[in-house]
Amino acid sequence: MHSPAGDTALEREDLYASLLHELKNNLVLMSITLEDIRHTGDAEHDRKLNEVRLQCQRIAERLMQALFVYRHAQSGGTELHAIDAYPVEDLLDELAVQARSLRSGMVIETVKADDVPAIWFFDRNMLEIALLNALHNSMLYARARIRIVARMEDDMLCVAIEDDSEGYPEHILQSVALGKPLRSNGTGLGLRFATMIAGAHVNGARTGRLRLRNQGGAVFEMLLP
Amino acid sequence: MDYKVLKGLVIDDFPSMRSAFKSALASFGMTRVDVAGTAAEAIARIKGQRYDIIICDYNLGEGRNGQQLLEELRQRGMLDLESVFLMVTAESMYESVVATAELGPDDYLIKPFNGDMLRCRLDAILPRKQTFQSVYRHFKHGNLEAALSGCDVILREHPKYIVDVLRLKGEILVTMGEFEQAEELYKQIVAMRAVPWSKLGLAKAMHLQGKSAAAEALLLDIIGRHPNMVASYDLLADVQLAQNKAQEAQGTLQRGAAVSSKSPKRQRRLGEIALQNNDLATAEKAFRATLEKGRNSIYLVPNDVANLSRVYLKQGKPRAASEVVMNNREFLHESRDGKLVAAVMLSQVSARNDDTENARARIREAMRLREDGVVVDLDLDLDMLEACVKAGMEEEANHILTEVARNAHDHPTLLDQARRLYAEAGRQDVAETVLRQATARVIELSREGALLLKKGELRQSLEKMLLACQEAARNPRILMNAAWVSLRLLEEEGLSQNLLSQAQRLLADVDRLAPEHPRLAGLRTTLRQFQTQMN
Repeated sequence: MHSPAGDTALEREDLYASLLHELKNNLVLMSITLEDIRHTGDAEHDRKLNEVRLQCQRIAERLMQALFVYRHAQSGGTELHAIDAYPVEDLLDELAVQARSLRSGMVIETVKADDVPAIWFFDRNMLEIALLNALHNSMLYARARIRIVARMEDDMLCVAIEDDSEGYPEHILQSVALGKPLRSNGTGLGLRFATMIAGAHVNGARTGRLRLRNQGGAVFEMLLP
Repeated sequence: MDYKVLKGLVIDDFPSMRSAFKSALASFGMTRVDVAGTAAEAIARIKGQRYDIIICDYNLGEGRNGQQLLEELRQRGMLDLESVFLMVTAESMYESVVATAELGPDDYLIKPFNGDMLRCRLDAILPRKQTFQSVYRHFKHGNLEAALSGCDVILREHPKYIVDVLRLKGEILVTMGEFEQAEELYKQIVAMRAVPWSKLGLAKAMHLQGKSAAAEALLLDIIGRHPNMVASYDLLADVQLAQNKAQEAQGTLQRGAAVSSKSPKRQRRLGEIALQNNDLATAEKAFRATLEKGRNSIYLVPNDVANLSRVYLKQGKPRAASEVVMNNREFLHESRDGKLVAAVMLSQVSARNDDTENARARIREAMRLREDGVVVDLDLDLDMLEACVKAGMEEEANHILTEVARNAHDHPTLLDQARRLYAEAGRQDVAETVLRQATARVIELSREGALLLKKGELRQSLEKMLLACQEAARNPRILMNAAWVSLRLLEEEGLSQNLLSQAQRLLADVDRLAPEHPRLAGLRTTLRQFQTQMN
């Protein structure tokens, strides 16, 4: 049954969705233009360039996540269709290249534990969006060092972004740990997205999850069955 | 990786995106890049030269989308497995695009992405293509045994490609007709992880062995979990048809068409099954969609026009039946098959309108095209038969009925349709006489051939069966029986170039008539083994 009021609400939401979509496309073009501007070696120029590139990417990411969260909730879907086999080392390499391309001055390392198999099953595109968001966060707060880590835990692949920042504030740790709703803006949106993506990784009876903790800095972990 | 030497093609309907791609590719040295704004333009480019890397946006505006373009390129043999094909989608489309087709691209990229990410993906895909190069070539040239052993080498030496290798092995085994082995292999992949394509592969291997119930249950499970995966609706319809559940098959294809209405092939099958179920409204809608979606693509065939015209005739709308032929006149005049369709359907329309003179002129035109060796679809033969009977051209009618009967003596529903046509004109006795005379010899020859085969008289059996092939040159079962006996003889009496070429000729004819016949793949594999020995 469609009530007239319901239809209007739906139309309004679709209007928001297409507006976000268009803004995102404009940003894509803008970020490509920004990539064309070269570093000059002039410290002040390069710093500003890096900053504006990171900002642009973050806005585009945010819009994309907002759209995804919105649509995913609407379709009621929980399982990702694009889960397939990918080499774990390719995932780590790609994240590192992405992080280094922003030239934040951070040292970025990748670590693959010996017991991690050559391949794992995940939705690489979605997982990367969630992990890149965490990487970009770390770039803002870390002092000097970021590690991208793959290890096994309880027969699940754990992909972690670890930094040497002061760590997550207590209320964020609490919200994620207790599954309390996060605010839909700023860091909250990124975490909501990551929770959703982790949870959509289902293997038999087991479901993936997001875990945050502080250990020598902030540790962002996606556990994938 | 040296990107300077590689040729790229970027397909996107927005000029700004095309230049953005070009500059992203140039950022790591790839400068030999062409662009195309539509699927048609892309096809023209790819015809002219081979590209190492093709980057294609899923959404290409009006006309075909990226997935349809990819399928058409593969089907026409214009894109081999060695080339890289990347599909780009907006995040909003990603979930409905990704992993929904049986035939996917090498990778999906979500917008926005930058030059670094593009390069990363290519850096991972190109070495994989390199590793698989010889296997791909063997597969392409039909050296299936060599392709299989190549897979096993990769499996040992490159553990990170394990799933890619297993997936390719499954395809090779199915092509070889080794359905049992394929089933085992897919079970192994499903045990690692029940990804949708592995379950689909398993269902296909089961279906090809006639394990319909198991295949059906598995496909229903896939559709429940991944309703966007359109390939599973198509396979489920096949499985249901194999169990004579035509109503269910129609429902399945209708659901598939609701998920993705753009495929002319799916619409055509839906129309054919709906017509069989006598659901004329659904058939009309589906055949109209076939024409609309297939326009300007290789998927449109003259018989699509005949199908819609046929439905209109059944609905008692001769005017619409002739209009659909007239509206597609240009397309039909491009080929002799098309001209034949136009002549036959218009003769039907004239016969319905009691315009006997016109009907006769059209039939004579159709007969001329037929004599010129146009291979006629059996449905079209029946249409022609109907027009002949209605226009009182009994001699021509009997000629056609003789040919239909010889080639389809084992197809009772078709023969019954022909009987009904004669009965409506009060000539049932003529039909019976013609049918008896036409089928007597092929039936007798096949019976004798089978008897001799039972007695182990392979040589004599083959003689009879080859005579039967002359009688029924368009009956795939008769041809395959003869091919099978030829292969048995090769096994018993040792290699002979004569027998080999004969089996090869017979199977080539079957490939033309019924490329998807379940017996064909197995016969081909046996043939190939003998050919390898011969060389």
